[in-house]
Amino acid sequence: MISAFIHKFSSPKSFVQITKTLYPLFIFTGLSMLIIGWTWGLLFAPPDAVQGNSYRIIFLHVPAVIFAELIYFFMALCALMHIVWRVKLAAYLIKSAAPIGAMITFIGLFSGSIWGIPTWGTWWQWDARITSTLILFIMYLGILTLHGSFSNLEKSDRLMSILVVIGVVNIPIIKKSVDWWSTLHQPASISVSGGSSIDPSMLYPLIISIIGLGFTLISLGILSSRSYILSREKNKKWVLKHV
Amino acid sequence: MFDIAFDNVNEIIDMNGHGIYVWSVYSIAISIIIVSFIVAKNRIKGVKRKIKIKNAPS
Amino acid sequence: MFRLIKIESSKLFYKLKSWLGPMLIMILVLTAFPLSIDISQFDLEKFYFSIIVVSLLMTSFLATEGMFEEDYEDGSLEQEYLVEKDFYKVVLSKIFVYVCFIGVPIAFIGAIFSFANGVAIGNFINVFISLSLSNLLLFNLFAFGNALSINKGAMLGILTTLPLALPVIILLGTAIRSIQYGNSFLEIISLMIGMGFLISAIMPLIISTTLKTHID
Repeated sequence: MISAFIHKFSSPKSFVQITKTLYPLFIFTGLSMLIIGWTWGLLFAPPDAVQGNSYRIIFLHVPAVIFAELIYFFMALCALMHIVWRVKLAAYLIKSAAPIGAMITFIGLFSGSIWGIPTWGTWWQWDARITSTLILFIMYLGILTLHGSFSNLEKSDRLMSILVVIGVVNIPIIKKSVDWWSTLHQPASISVSGGSSIDPSMLYPLIISIIGLGFTLISLGILSSRSYILSREKNKKWVLKHV
Repeated sequence: MFDIAFDNVNEIIDMNGHGIYVWSVYSIAISIIIVSFIVAKNRIKGVKRKIKIKNAPS
Repeated sequence: MFRLIKIESSKLFYKLKSWLGPMLIMILVLTAFPLSIDISQFDLEKFYFSIIVVSLLMTSFLATEGMFEEDYEDGSLEQEYLVEKDFYKVVLSKIFVYVCFIGVPIAFIGAIFSFANGVAIGNFINVFISLSLSNLLLFNLFAFGNALSINKGAMLGILTTLPLALPVIILLGTAIRSIQYGNSFLEIISLMIGMGFLISAIMPLIISTTLKTHID
């Protein structure tokens, strides 16, 4: 039953058609929420008692690292679908999501490094959370390189899916690194299960920024997956009609 | 909650000496995201153009 | 299974470069390092282990570099895939042979060098066990990397599996520190044994699936 459901809703054609309708909505929501969240965070939120104004990087850094992990998790789910049910669309989505994941992980690492200068006095520390995020960044690059190494694209898709599934072991390591090892990086300030150590005047713009960046990245994912799907399916009739 | 945290534009830019870190991070991140959108859009155009050329009636 | 181990052992025995090369490189790096610095200014006891760990990482990668490549190119891997009912057993025996005949000697060399640089004799066996277990984990991971990038060069293998190998290095570092300072060694070694069992059971299955993708 699951297999029938997945096959019904996972044709590249229907994906392109559905996302074409959804794209304007996603990009509008994403950008407007980002503008609201970042303006609120940068101009209206009060300065932090300890870190002063440098903490304002949080409104970019935290959403970026959250999505660096979430994108990999999404890719792992797609990889499982590709390995188990041989869903073509899943492989296309992994290939389209990997550069976005690499980009957002880079932004997370970069913003964290800059934030480290005024707060820790150093831009880099071989600390558990930072190192494991760097590993995630290398993982994304490895996935992209592996996919680009074979001329047989079906083979590349399958090998890439295997690597993505194996690499998912890194996600809990990154998530839990601040709890497992003694580290400079502070533990998570907000959690899905509730409970937050941040004042609401900083928490609300942070949540809005997270949602805004999420929608923006989904929009970017829609664009990049659309171009990849069209190039992979270029000989299909529906693509000719679509173009 | 909705009072602006700074008195003037100079304070916004300077952020008590932290402005250089905050604004550089945001500007570079925003540029990367914008460039990614432009690249993705151009790629769609490029793919569509290639398909059109390939299937154009000779 | 014993038949496969016997075949793989004899294959490896004739590939002199594959098993002797990594051992010589391990010896070379460990000897060259103290010669290249002014040892009177550094406390070698404290950071010589880092060099052992890094050379272990390097040599275990070198050792597994051609694990499947030659067999893939001369067609024997395809033949084994067609003949053997359980292809993963071929992979398992290959990894087992490589760990026994290259991984363990490399760990032994590492332990001897650590002993020569101030580790107490009583800790020799602890260092040897930690290095051997790390090699078991690294060989499995690098075998996976080489299976992925089978004929596309070592760089791709490194790039794809190095992120997975780094947690092993962190674990080995923790084990070594606990040997040096004499605390909670048993806990870490139990964790490594557990990981070793898990990876040795799962990895051959994943590697055989990867190789099947190449062969198909």
